[in-house]
Amino acid sequence: MREEFRSTGEYVASEALMGSVNVAIALQKPLLIKGEPGTGKTMLAEAVAKSLGKKLLIWNIKSTTKAQDGLYMYDTIQRLYDGQFGEEGVDDIARYIKLGKLGEAFESEEQVVLLIDEIDKADLEFPNDLLWELDQMEFYIHETKRTVKAKHRPIVIITSNAEKELPDAFLRRCIFHYIEFPDAALMEEIVKVHFPDIEENLLKNAMEVFYWIRGIRDVRKKPSTSELIDWVNALQMGGIPTDTLKEKLPFLGVIVKKDEDLETVKHYV
Amino acid sequence: MFQNFFNALKNRGVNVSLSEWLTLQQALDEGLCESSLTRFYHVARSILVHSEADFDKYDLAFEDCFKSLKMETEVSAQMLRWLDKPDENAMLHEKDKEYLNSVESFEIDKDDVEKQFKQRLKDQDSEHNGGAYWIGTMGKTSFGNTGGNIGGIRVGGATGYQSAFQVIGARRYRDFRDDRVLTGRQFMTALRRLRQFSTKLDIPKTELDINSTVDRTCNNGGCLEIVMDRPRKNSVKLLLLMDSGGTMIPYCQLLNELFQSVHKSNHYREVKTYYFHNCIYSHVYNTPACENGDWTETEWMFRNLDKDFKVIIVGDAAMAPEELYARDGNYRGPNGGYSGQEWLLRLRRKYRRVVWMNPKMSPTPAPWREAETAIKEIFPMLPLTVAGLNAGMEILMQRQ
Ligand SMILES: Nc1ncnc2c1ncn2[C@@H]1O[C@H](COP(=O)(O)OP(=O)(O)OP(=O)(O)O)[C@@H](O)[C@H]1O
Ligand SMILES: [Mg+2]
Repeated sequence: MREEFRSTGEYVASEALMGSVNVAIALQKPLLIKGEPGTGKTMLAEAVAKSLGKKLLIWNIKSTTKAQDGLYMYDTIQRLYDGQFGEEGVDDIARYIKLGKLGEAFESEEQVVLLIDEIDKADLEFPNDLLWELDQMEFYIHETKRTVKAKHRPIVIITSNAEKELPDAFLRRCIFHYIEFPDAALMEEIVKVHFPDIEENLLKNAMEVFYWIRGIRDVRKKPSTSELIDWVNALQMGGIPTDTLKEKLPFLGVIVKKDEDLETVKHYV
Repeated sequence: MFQNFFNALKNRGVNVSLSEWLTLQQALDEGLCESSLTRFYHVARSILVHSEADFDKYDLAFEDCFKSLKMETEVSAQMLRWLDKPDENAMLHEKDKEYLNSVESFEIDKDDVEKQFKQRLKDQDSEHNGGAYWIGTMGKTSFGNTGGNIGGIRVGGATGYQSAFQVIGARRYRDFRDDRVLTGRQFMTALRRLRQFSTKLDIPKTELDINSTVDRTCNNGGCLEIVMDRPRKNSVKLLLLMDSGGTMIPYCQLLNELFQSVHKSNHYREVKTYYFHNCIYSHVYNTPACENGDWTETEWMFRNLDKDFKVIIVGDAAMAPEELYARDGNYRGPNGGYSGQEWLLRLRRKYRRVVWMNPKMSPTPAPWREAETAIKEIFPMLPLTVAGLNAGMEILMQRQ
């Protein structure tokens, strides 16, 4: 079923979001996207790459990611192995330099879209460590005394869930866009790109329940777009009668993930 | 008007630097705003504001500045005039110097900004390349109709761009505001200055330096050559003493954040936290509640936490003179025969580096604040602000 979502392959962006993307591209600055989980931050980069007909490179950031990982890695261990077995070319350090995602984007023969996903997951100083590289679009490999310079300035899209605040110096260099949670009209369009043939009644009732749950103050983890889509999908496949959705709340676990929230919602029915 | 908007933003608390102004100007040059005020609202926001927490402030500033234009949708004439005001820019530049000087040096390279600035002025009348726009030439024509489909991206929403004043009028971003003075991040950044790597100290080389080992081995024709190194560990030990007395209640959140920051940046060799009520006497408390019995003897602290601990005291130094000078007990508990002032002096003699951070410190000498003045004689006292915190950390890291 997931596959089918993809083949529809559509992304709904507000005009303001489109505007910010264009500003970032025109000014050649990284575009920083913030917003609640599931508001389509990651998918935006895919959509931009697709609509521009450019390759997408994804650098997924984790808590252990270092800025250096994006530039290059010197695989000393491989070199050691090769050295032990008298392999040819051990003297040639360049053979053991592996470019990271940023390096790959710089070396690419065509302009690419580079997604730095969830930058706030990393260490506090991580964004600062990338300032120079993102400004200058180049870096230096000490081991081989080579400078890697962008052949084509990549379009850089950076996402953040704001788990940690990002440093000022970094923020100043970005075009910032906050994806607001879609209102009902926009949400309807989003659901429809995933399910073009959805029954109006199902859509209407599902959306009503969805916004109702989001509106309950005590619900800790508010359901997001992706949960609504999964839920609609489940409802369609289950052939659930649509007019009793609000009373029966079928497949509630798809839309409300936390146990305590399940209790809360049931309490309010 | 250029100047006005800049000032309006600053007045409303949006910190805009020169580099961002230059970027905005570039955007105007390239026609990204299409002489539409609403477009300008969005473009300028995406360049000047970096957090949704500041959107509300931006809205208010925008309204302050453009209220008179509310009815117009086209302001091309005004905007074009902005582009051609080198004098105003120079003035702005002067003004901004002050600001640039006050931010951390690594944030903006001043020379760089100045160079860029001059370059921009030089470029002013040369032709501007619109760059590779994605959808149409955005500078000249607008992209797609609302609801239209462009290369797999659908521009959604029935309304399209809401007019700037529609957005502002609704104060949509009010709930995102964040008016805290200091944030956790600023604490953590400041606390990072407390670093002293033990590589500098005289300790044995006990760690395998993998990179050097491999490198030497390879250069050695594959014959293993081990390289050892000293472990690189932060050797800083931190003692945090926080006032949680009544007058400190408004700063509760702030202290909590400081506490969290210290513990999150778990790269110190040791961290100890105790609490006190107004001043330090014979006992320090284990929790912010400062309950009798749940405490640690100050003498014990002196004996067990050696002189290399860097001490941060946080308190407003607001107390009655007798709390500082009386030897016969204070209303919270025993004094152990010393006055508060004497306890503080003992603390200073014991520890090499102590700073007192004060969230309410008077910016000028204030003799009428007797306790504050007296404590300033004992410890370096700094305001609990970003600048103060950074200065404090510097004092803690000074060599003897
Ligand atoms: N504007 C949209 N148009 C189409 N589908 C959307 C849109 N927004 C969200 N979705 C759906 O929601 C899913 C989640 O989106 P995505 O992973 O991009 O969110 P995210 O903001 O990156 O979330 P997280 O913060 O959890 O990483 C997408 O796979 C897509 O199915
Ligand atoms: Mg994501």
